[in-house]
Amino acid sequence: MTDPLALDPILAPLERSRPAFNDDDLSHDERFAAFEAHVLAGGKVEATDWMPDEYRTAVLRFVEMHANSELMGVLPEREWLMRAPTLRRKLALTAKVQDEVGHAQLLYRVAEDLGKPREAMFDDLLAGKTKFHNVFHYPTVGWADVGMIAWLVDAAAIVAQQALRDSSYAPYARTMRKICWEESVHIMHGRDVVVTMATGTAAQRAAIQDALDRWWGPLMQMHGPRSPREKDRDLHWRIKAKTSEELRQEFLSIYVPRIRELGLVIPDGALAWDGAIDAWRYGEPDWDELRTVVTNHGPMSQSRLDFRRVNREETRWVRETILGVAVAA
Amino acid sequence: MTDTPPELQPWEVFRQEKDGDPMRHGGSVMAPDAELAVHYARELFGRRQESVRLWVVRRVDVLDLSDPDLLQPPLDRSYKKPGGYVMRDKLAAARAQSGQAKPKARPG
Amino acid sequence: MNSASLPTVALGHLLGSMADDEFVIGFSDSEWTGIAPLLEEDVAMSSLAQDEIGHAAALYGLLGELTGADPDALAYDRDPDEYRHARLLDHGRGDWAMTIARRYLYETSDAVRLEALIGGAWPPLAQLCAKLVREERYHLMHINAWFVRLAAAHGEPRDRLVAALEALSADASTVFTPLPGERALLDARIQAAPMAELEARWRAAIAPTFEAHRLTMPPAATSPTKGREGHGAAFAWLWGEFNQVRRSEPGAVW
Repeated sequence: MTDPLALDPILAPLERSRPAFNDDDLSHDERFAAFEAHVLAGGKVEATDWMPDEYRTAVLRFVEMHANSELMGVLPEREWLMRAPTLRRKLALTAKVQDEVGHAQLLYRVAEDLGKPREAMFDDLLAGKTKFHNVFHYPTVGWADVGMIAWLVDAAAIVAQQALRDSSYAPYARTMRKICWEESVHIMHGRDVVVTMATGTAAQRAAIQDALDRWWGPLMQMHGPRSPREKDRDLHWRIKAKTSEELRQEFLSIYVPRIRELGLVIPDGALAWDGAIDAWRYGEPDWDELRTVVTNHGPMSQSRLDFRRVNREETRWVRETILGVAVAA
Repeated sequence: MTDTPPELQPWEVFRQEKDGDPMRHGGSVMAPDAELAVHYARELFGRRQESVRLWVVRRVDVLDLSDPDLLQPPLDRSYKKPGGYVMRDKLAAARAQSGQAKPKARPG
Repeated sequence: MNSASLPTVALGHLLGSMADDEFVIGFSDSEWTGIAPLLEEDVAMSSLAQDEIGHAAALYGLLGELTGADPDALAYDRDPDEYRHARLLDHGRGDWAMTIARRYLYETSDAVRLEALIGGAWPPLAQLCAKLVREERYHLMHINAWFVRLAAAHGEPRDRLVAALEALSADASTVFTPLPGERALLDARIQAAPMAELEARWRAAIAPTFEAHRLTMPPAATSPTKGREGHGAAFAWLWGEFNQVRRSEPGAVW
C-alpha cells in the first residue's frame, strides 16, 4: 500500500497564500527576503516558483549527488545479479537493483526540472565534476557483501532519506517519500541474506563477519564529518533537516543492537553508548579516507566511472536515433 | 518514421491506487512518444501492482493554473463555506425561548 | 486425467525445456539492469527479465511437483550440457539490437507455444500457461514496439537489427525443436499440435511484420532435432556465473 503522502499533486496546494517572492514587480532583495521567510517558516517550494540562485544551486547540487549515488550504487551489486544462488534471491536482488535505477530516474527528473539536462549531469559525473557517495567506491568481493550492502548501507541511506521527506523543495520531498517506501523492502531483503548466512555454515558466518569488518569504516564515514548546525547552508534552507552527526547517531541506535544480536563483532573497540551524554562514542572515522574516496580516488572509483563511460558510448546510438535526447527543461 | 531524431520530453503520470480512489499525481517519465510513455509509466508507477489505473499525458498538454487572484481572491467568500454559518448564539437564544434542551445526538 | 495415465516423462521434457528457456533468457537479459540506453527503459527491461525468472520458477515448480525435485536444484544443479533451452538463447545479450532481435524471435515463438498448451487436458499446465499468456501480453507489446522502431529507422538501428537477425538465423526457430515424447503429449491432448506445425504457425504470424519492414525471414533450422543441445561458450560463461556463489558452499542455505 502506498503512503498517500507520496502522491501529493504537483499543483500548489490551495491553502497557500500569495507568495510574494513570485511577484515580478518586487526587487531581487525583496523577493529574496520573502523567499527566505517563507522557507524558514516551513513553506514549500515548487519547480515553477522563483528561487534565489543560492537556493536553486544548493538544491540542484544536493539532488544531483543523490541521483549520481543511486546510479553508481547500482554497479557494486549488479555483478552479483548474475550469481544469485537461488531463484528467489535472483528475483529479490534484480528487483532491488532495478529500484536503484528507478530512484536514479526519479531524482534525475527532479534535477532536470530545475533546469539541468540529464546528459549534462552524466557528462559532469563522468568528468569528476560532480560526486557520488563514498560507499559506492568500494569493491564487493562475495555474496556476503551483497547482503551487508542491502542491509546496512541501505539502512544508513534510509536514515538520511527519512529526514528528507519534509524538505523545503517539495518535488524532492515527494520523491523521498516514494523512495523511503521502496527502500524498506531492500533492507528486509539484505537483513534476510545476512541472517541466513550468519546462521549458516562456518564459512558463511566467517564471510559475513569479514564483510562487516570491511564495510564498517565506510559506513561510519557515510553521513559525513560533524559540522556545526549554524554553518550548514543546506540546513538553513531546510533542504535537509538533520546534521551528519544526528543521522549517524540514529543509525547506530537502531542497527548496533541488530548487528550484535547476530553474534557479529563490530570492528570498533571504542564503540559504546555513553549514558552521560545520551549518545554513542566511537572511534574517529578516517576523514582523510572519505576525502580521498569521494574525489574519485577510491579503490573502484575510476573503474566504475570507466565502466559507465564505455556503456554510455555503447548505447549512444539508441538514444540518438530512437529514444532522442531531451531538450533543456 | 522520419529521419529527424525524436525528442525526449516529460510525461506526467497520474495513478489510481484502488477502485473508487481519485487519480493522484505520481511523477513523470521521459519518453519520445506515447507508446513508450505508457510503458515507462507502468514501470515507474505500476510495476509492483500498486496501481489499478494510470493516466499519462505530455507535460506541455497539462494546463497549469496557480494564479492567486483566480484561486485565492481577497474578498470574503465565507457564504460559500460551512464555516460561514455560525449559529451557536442564535440556537442558544431559541432554546431559552422555547424551554427546550439541546437535542441529544440519538433520539429518545 | 488420472496420475496413472499422465505422460510424466514427456511432460518432464516439455516443462524442462520451457523452464530452461525462461531461466536462460531471464538471466541473460537481467544483465541490462543498470546499463540500458535510458533509465526508464532500464527499469522496463529489468521487469521483463524478472518476469522470465518468475515464469521459470513457476515451471520448475510444476516440474518439481511431478518429479519430487526442488525447483532451485532443477534450475541450478546440472552440468551445462544437461540444459535443454533453445539454442536461440545461447546467444548473449549483445548490443541493444541483438537483445531486441533475440527477444522478438523468442517471445513470438513462446506465444505460439503457449497458445498450444492453454486448452490442454492436464489442468495444472493449462492453468499455468493461461496465466503466462496474460503476463506475456506486456512482453509482446514491448518487443513489438522496439522491433518495429529499429526496423523502420534508417541507418544504424536497422543495420544493427539486420546484422543481429543474420547472426541468429541458424538458431532462430530452435524453440520449436521437437521434444522426446511429443507423441504422448499429443495423444493425451496436453499439447494441441506438434512442434513442426507450431513452427509453421509462428512463421505465418511473423511474416507480415518481416514483409512490411523488408526483412529476411529466418531460414529453416539446419539441424532441427538438435536445437536444444550443444550450447557453446556463451552459455558456459553464463552457467559459470549463475553457479559461482551456489557452488562455493554446496548444500548451504542462502
